[in-house]
Amino acid sequence: MPLDLAVIQPHIARMAAQAHTQSLADHLEAACARLREADAAHLLEVIAERERSKERIPWLVAKPREEIGAAYPPPPLPSPDFSVVATDGSAIPPDRHSPLRFFVLNTGLARLTYGQRPDAHLWARSLFCADEEDLYITAAGRRIPVEGARLGLRMALEELGALFEAAQEAPAAGPVLALHDGSLIFWALHNEEEAVLRYFLPQILDSLERFQKAGIAVASYISYPGAQDVANSLRLLVCGKDAQHCGQCAGASAEERALCRALADFRDQALFLRHLQPGQRSAICDSTSAILDRYGEQRVQFFYLHTGEEIARLEAPQWVMQDETSRRFLHAAVADQCRRGRGYPQALIEAHEEAVITTGEHRLVEQMVEEALAAQGVVYVRSAKDRSKRERGV
Amino acid sequence: MERIGEIVATSSNSLTAVSFTLHQPPALGSLVRVDVEGERRTVYGVVSFGTTTGLDPGRRVVRRSTEDVHDAAIYAEHPQLEKTLRTEFTALLVGYCGPDGRVHQHLPPQPPPLHYSVCTCDAEEVERFSQQRSYFRLLLAAAGELPPEQLLAAHIRETAAARGDDGEWLAAAAREVAALLKGEYDRLLGLLQAIEPR
Repeated sequence: MPLDLAVIQPHIARMAAQAHTQSLADHLEAACARLREADAAHLLEVIAERERSKERIPWLVAKPREEIGAAYPPPPLPSPDFSVVATDGSAIPPDRHSPLRFFVLNTGLARLTYGQRPDAHLWARSLFCADEEDLYITAAGRRIPVEGARLGLRMALEELGALFEAAQEAPAAGPVLALHDGSLIFWALHNEEEAVLRYFLPQILDSLERFQKAGIAVASYISYPGAQDVANSLRLLVCGKDAQHCGQCAGASAEERALCRALADFRDQALFLRHLQPGQRSAICDSTSAILDRYGEQRVQFFYLHTGEEIARLEAPQWVMQDETSRRFLHAAVADQCRRGRGYPQALIEAHEEAVITTGEHRLVEQMVEEALAAQGVVYVRSAKDRSKRERGV
Repeated sequence: MERIGEIVATSSNSLTAVSFTLHQPPALGSLVRVDVEGERRTVYGVVSFGTTTGLDPGRRVVRRSTEDVHDAAIYAEHPQLEKTLRTEFTALLVGYCGPDGRVHQHLPPQPPPLHYSVCTCDAEEVERFSQQRSYFRLLLAAAGELPPEQLLAAHIRETAAARGDDGEWLAAAAREVAALLKGEYDRLLGLLQAIEPR
């Protein structure tokens, strides 16, 4: 066993001890108190002032659309008849050890209908992509390969398209909620070159607009979110003025500085796990993610929800969040889904089950490619490194 | 004759089928048939086991009931269960009918094909097949999940009922069993008790 566990073990123990100190717990409590007492109007003023000045806010912050310390209990479902449609995706990415370039996308779908005529429809859509237009984005004569984050965006597009079709086919009785797995804020686009952004973003926004035109509430669900938007907003209230020189704030007490430093490490979910009761949602907030400036009418907002097990982040276009009927349905239906799914939306569980590509299936696809090539008289040669890893000879 | 399942495993002496209706495999001991098209052959089996499990062996069945929602209401509350659970049944092969229409009470020459339909047998067919009882030996010799004498008892009960509570047939079946289990008093007694009319 080459991994020396004896060397690692004391470091693990030290990390665990550091993660649970009394001072951290105290800071978390102090941060929650700030959250309860914070005034949304004042916070928005501070953010606006900072945005007007040259002093950029170096973090993403949450701009509350309601009182930031609010906690809303789940409203009742609007009707006993309703459907929840969900998608999840899985991919076999392009393999650089293979002589042929291709990828496979598998979109898992679940449509669960409740009420008078309960029903379930679970299925998957598989896509094999080996054509030039699938494998590369062309920009000024250059070919930008669809892989890594770009493959993730392509997957998301497939999922949103399939989600819309599945939602449209839902029974007419009662409203339909369309749930996407992961974030609707495709911030990764911001790190891509303009050509890539121009390729993906209009398609993503078109997908969201189709939901809007059809009057279908669409949202995305993030389990165990890593976001710090709200914690960062609280930092603005704690440390006063000089956000760029965090930790050196003149005029701040030592206690405030320590709290500010602690907030830099807190995820929003840690705050809301204390702040919200099961079923409750937080205030709706705008994100300051720069990519959202290009979302127009599809600008995405978010809130946190106590699922009974954890804090989840729900993201949806503003036309869902700002419409009372859609917002209440989203909150009620997701809380209900988490109850049925023992802490996680049942429709997403089923969509995931449909989406999964097993190691065996992955191997089978490779084998099918090998056989197809062999039929053409071509010997499939993988990289020597990959072959050696598979063979593992002694 | 009603299609009730699809064969998902097959062999020379048994078949396993997915039931078309969740929780409703055919009755234990009942006679079922598989029509093998083209060969004009019908294979007969006796239902020897039924089970309902998760479709994916990797997923554990978890508790779903609450104070207010239990039993049948669970399935309305969680409609995906209809798609993620499956009921399967196994039938031991006990005979077949060839193109000449003659019923043979021994193992068929070929296993029934995968994915073919398993159907119920109507009373007339049960009566015709059970006229002879030499297939009882096959059931008693089976190494299935249940004690063979309990399986045979279930079959005798089902058949007597399908034959309109045919007391004469039941008595003949009991005599047949007594002959087969001579020298095995405990097994015979258990079987006779299990088929005794109430």
